[in-house]
Amino acid sequence: MQKTKSKLTNRMKPKLQSSKMQTNSGGTAVLDAPTPETHAIRIESFNAFYDDFQAIHNINLNIPEKQVTSFIGPSGCGKSTLLKWVNRMNDIVPIAHANGSLWVGETNVLARNTDVVDLRRQVGMVFQKANPFPKSIFDNVAYGARLHYKTSRSELHDLVEWSLKKAALWDEVKDRLKGSALGLSGGQQQRLCIARAIATGPEILLMDEPCSALDPASTSRIEDLIFELREQFTIVIVTHNMQQAARCSDRTAFFYEGKIVEEGLTEDVFTRPKEKQTEDYVTGKFG
Amino acid sequence: MNEPANKKREYRSDSRRKLFSSSFSVICLLVSSIAIVVLTTLLISIFATGGSWLNLEFLTASHRENNPEGSGIGQAIVGSLVICLICGVVALPLGVGTAIFLEEFQPRNKFLRMFHGLVQLNINNLAGVPSIVYGILGLTAFVYMFGAFNSIRVNDQPDFEIGASYFYQTKTLGGTYVKFPAVAEIQPTFEIQNSLKATNADGESFHLNLVSTTDDPLSYQSKQSVSVIRGTQAKLSNRDGDEIYESQTVDGTLFRFPAKPTYSQFAKILEPITVTGPDGEQFELNVLSKADSIPTDDLVKSQSVFADSPDPKKRSSASIFRENSAFHMHLPFSKSVLSAGLTLALVVLPIVIIASQEAIRGVPQTLREAAFGMGATRWQVVRGAVLPSAIPGIMTGAILAMSRAVGEAAPLLAVMGGVLGTTNQLSSLMDKTPVLPVTIFKWAGDENEGFEHLSAAAIIVLLAILLLMNSVAIFIRYRYEKKLGT
Repeated sequence: MQKTKSKLTNRMKPKLQSSKMQTNSGGTAVLDAPTPETHAIRIESFNAFYDDFQAIHNINLNIPEKQVTSFIGPSGCGKSTLLKWVNRMNDIVPIAHANGSLWVGETNVLARNTDVVDLRRQVGMVFQKANPFPKSIFDNVAYGARLHYKTSRSELHDLVEWSLKKAALWDEVKDRLKGSALGLSGGQQQRLCIARAIATGPEILLMDEPCSALDPASTSRIEDLIFELREQFTIVIVTHNMQQAARCSDRTAFFYEGKIVEEGLTEDVFTRPKEKQTEDYVTGKFG
Repeated sequence: MNEPANKKREYRSDSRRKLFSSSFSVICLLVSSIAIVVLTTLLISIFATGGSWLNLEFLTASHRENNPEGSGIGQAIVGSLVICLICGVVALPLGVGTAIFLEEFQPRNKFLRMFHGLVQLNINNLAGVPSIVYGILGLTAFVYMFGAFNSIRVNDQPDFEIGASYFYQTKTLGGTYVKFPAVAEIQPTFEIQNSLKATNADGESFHLNLVSTTDDPLSYQSKQSVSVIRGTQAKLSNRDGDEIYESQTVDGTLFRFPAKPTYSQFAKILEPITVTGPDGEQFELNVLSKADSIPTDDLVKSQSVFADSPDPKKRSSASIFRENSAFHMHLPFSKSVLSAGLTLALVVLPIVIIASQEAIRGVPQTLREAAFGMGATRWQVVRGAVLPSAIPGIMTGAILAMSRAVGEAAPLLAVMGGVLGTTNQLSSLMDKTPVLPVTIFKWAGDENEGFEHLSAAAIIVLLAILLLMNSVAIFIRYRYEKKLGT
């Protein structure tokens, strides 16, 4: 296994150097940003593997606090893999491993002794397909809080109401909180999942193509929601929908073949891309 | 263009294809109707043989030797249910736990992964092992416990035992039986009937020479120090914590031999003791010496025993009996309900594990992701997300496994023997009990033809129980699916 690894890195060397230069230029863009905020997620020389296959090659990326950052790129380019490493969801996959440095706030995510449970409390996640538990709406939202905190009944009720209001779902479900979550429409279910994620009080929300299974009306509601939520949360969203990235994100990172080709303010990436590949992708010439 | 799809070809004969297709469905119908015909024939013949014997008395009575009219399956039904219950209580937690371990706790470590694979391979293989093999395993593991303890014989006290009280019972001169507690003050004595190995006062071990009372003392004068008269009594004594027996040889040398529970014990009554009569009344026993004559008054007679008598038949010695409480337990488990239940648990364990694994695998991965994503620990994921969704499948598998357990005869024959009826009610886990399948098996082979009808009637009852269990499984599945859905 080691042999193949060294072979891979040797083969990748020239490419790696070029990608480094690109991310460096991206790094300067961060410094030039109008509001130089602290970084919620800091990624340096990060590599991720599935067994022998290297899914992510030497990525450097800083994600600012209280902003929406979108990851775009063709399928299989490593953006979901990176997202799942931020809250160590890849732990479920026995063959996944990674090296480099990945910090969320003061937490070294990749360290062996990191408390994954606490990390995931801080970093919530919304998945591609809405995945409510086969329980009542109330129990779904209260699930995370019940996992982590000792709460009284009234506290729990307040929390559920607050979360559902934040997720713009309260008015639709307030009369049937005891009803099954599976009775909701797809868009409502996805908003329920967002409410469930923010109920544990995270600082960061990771969204893995949250609208890919939804109709345009539901998608637009969720996009509005993302726009509102960024006042309170740092949001990272993986999307295949270029318009969505353009509409609701502050910053965009373009991934291609496990590397970041370009990263910067969304406006710059979409209207003044520095790289030819980025331009081709955002204008729809490939991918 | 010469594209493969556009090439001119000869058509296959349409009529022949369709003829084959339709005749194939007829063949399928025939084959499946054979199974149905066989099943119906079986049911009809069983109902014809046993249907008329099926009544309330049959369902409640117990087996009577040579008396089919008075026999029934009351004990067998209770026995089957109790064994099934033990089997479920043991097999379910073990099986579901193993399934959770195999499905939800997949390790990253290479060796642990190999261990995982090994366990999985074993379970898949064990599911196909014939149940009689489990019967032999149960015989070794539960009935005899690999010979780690003294084997238990009738009326002997096992090495390890709880929930049993011992008492002595003796017959008075009036012919009534009286009981008294087996307490330490009454020294149990031991009658030497077979020659045995002993140790003398100097610690030399030797073999005892047994002589009868009619032997001429002169003929064995030289061997007197290694001889005892058959029927000589020995006293139990404690030495350095070990219980041993002590007695005297013909010439008066003291010898010792180990106090093994395999020797039958008697308590010799020498002084008046308080005893309990047949009606539960307590009184003091009137102990007569051999010089006394038998009293004439009936009441005195029924409260008297001989302390000693030249006539061995009149000698009043009490034998030891055991009374079991409901939580009576000993090691090894010997041929008992508990051994049978544990053996059946082994039989159905692979089935429960595989069914539970299937149910757990059927839980969508997205549910696990959702729970993990919110910071649930592995246990919280299993408890809160996986098990609630897998429970209907697990329950169905469990009930089907139980219905297999109810119908098993072979392992029970190996572990409990062919018990048809017992005089005592099932009072503890250490008792034996008849069960339905074994009863059917024994009755079907009975020489008395009446029992064949009873066997058929018992089959009807067993089928009804199986049908009931399977419908419960279907009902549970249906209800939970409805509940978990919208």
